[in-house]
Amino acid sequence: MSARRNPARDQVAIVGLGRSPYARDRQGCTPGSLVSEACVNALRDAGLGAADIDGICGSMVSAQWVQAALGIPGVAWFANPQAVIGNQITAAVAAVSSGMADTVLVYHHAYRLPWASRSAAKDPMRKRATLGVADARSWWGTGHNDTGPNSLYGAPAYAAWAGRYLHDYGYTRETLGLVAINSRTNAARNPNAVYTEPLTMEAYLAGRMVRDPLSVYDMDIPIDGADAFVITTTERARDLPRPSVLIHAATLGHTDYGSEEQLRDLDHAGQMVVVDRLWAKSELTLADVDVLYPYEGFSNIALSWIENVGYCGRGEGGAFVADHWVEAEQRIMIHGRIPVNTHGGSLSEGGTQGAGHLYEACLQLRGDAGPRQVDGAAVALVTPGGYYFNSQGILLRSDT
Amino acid sequence: MTDEELLDAFPGVRIDADNAAWHRGLLDHRLLVNRCDDCGRWHQPPRPLCPACWSRSITPTEVAGDGFVALVTALRQGAPQPGVDYADGGHALVAVELDEQPGLRLAGTVVGTPTAGIRVGDRVRALWRDIPGRLPRADFEIVAGADTAAGEGAGR
Repeated sequence: MSARRNPARDQVAIVGLGRSPYARDRQGCTPGSLVSEACVNALRDAGLGAADIDGICGSMVSAQWVQAALGIPGVAWFANPQAVIGNQITAAVAAVSSGMADTVLVYHHAYRLPWASRSAAKDPMRKRATLGVADARSWWGTGHNDTGPNSLYGAPAYAAWAGRYLHDYGYTRETLGLVAINSRTNAARNPNAVYTEPLTMEAYLAGRMVRDPLSVYDMDIPIDGADAFVITTTERARDLPRPSVLIHAATLGHTDYGSEEQLRDLDHAGQMVVVDRLWAKSELTLADVDVLYPYEGFSNIALSWIENVGYCGRGEGGAFVADHWVEAEQRIMIHGRIPVNTHGGSLSEGGTQGAGHLYEACLQLRGDAGPRQVDGAAVALVTPGGYYFNSQGILLRSDT
Repeated sequence: MTDEELLDAFPGVRIDADNAAWHRGLLDHRLLVNRCDDCGRWHQPPRPLCPACWSRSITPTEVAGDGFVALVTALRQGAPQPGVDYADGGHALVAVELDEQPGLRLAGTVVGTPTAGIRVGDRVRALWRDIPGRLPRADFEIVAGADTAAGEGAGR
């Protein structure tokens, strides 16, 4: 693999973290109330005020709304990319490293929607709500003009590809169960997690099936909540109160398969583009990684990420997780050293499309992860997204 | 059929000049998939150009509807829809890989076989059912199991 230029390497840092705590059902909230809470908390964490921000980048709630709500007097750059969080991060890194902006406020929220949450579907204030991102049939979407129970648009395709993975490599649902149990075990030490009670394999296998082979335990938990990040130059970060988290390399990765069922196979997913590009831009290697955050909004995605980032070959992810399973701890410890999704991930902390994974990685690198702090955590690999339109990689290191 | 009538036949669907032929075909029980006049490649969903060679000379061309199950899942819950039963093992949702080209797939359901019995590699063919209240579309039925000589087998 040939090296790629990466002039932004370690030159941009995350200096503030803020959150609107995750909740299974928060009455009276709106996307704007969640985002604004997270953003204010992130700015306070960074020791910055409204006048210090000159760039805004988030999903769904518009930058203009956030600017007005927080009274940010002057913004020279903004963007509202689609979810998931790597889109905002890569855009903000580009803006800061190019000088389009010096200090950028980044955010993402999750707001339970009727299609993913039965309680939301019954709520008259929510039942007409839809994703602020592109409609499935719009020009911003994937080309699908077909939704509903005979379409593979969106979530059902992940179940179908999960089934194909089990079929092709001879795994059973127990393989997926290890991913879910790992998340639940780690969530027990995270006060922000919405599900913390232990999950046994017996209970996992008895879980209500939603889309075969994925049950309720294999799918991210709809929540209300938000995360925000303040991003600036590493030079400026060193004058701010919090430990800096340096963005060593970040990338997106898409392939040209225009809709979920047309993806040629799992060897031609966006994840391959991400991994090739990420390692080519990095001076770190997989051996340097201390904490791993493979997205598991659907459990099978994490197995693909573990394979593709380089721990094992295609189809070997299930066996790898089993080999690195610590029975006494009920969680994955790669090589006995590297925990996976220390916060409980989308399956137990709550589903925020990878923003929660990034937030936790930053906490670990700052040494702020409390009872679940990994001693000496200095390098984190965060891989948000799935297979088609949102595969992403973010490699972070502490500023030591 | 006028464009207005076509739109009325697919309420809520974004019908435009790029995909109108596909939807007109469904009303006639024909699967009209875009094919490039220059390089012969098929693509789906419909685009205004060939993704392989960028030719804009595209002809919606009928495919037979024969192929094999490439992906399968079972929906155990969802919004009520005509012709959809989420009980008894779930509503079958498959991607059928068409014989016309490797990787060219259509999404749909399988009828006539219990959902739990549908396997990757099952040979299928299209069939047409007019279900009141459902948008026109093709369904599929299994003609040979994956584990038979006519099936694609588990290794595909």
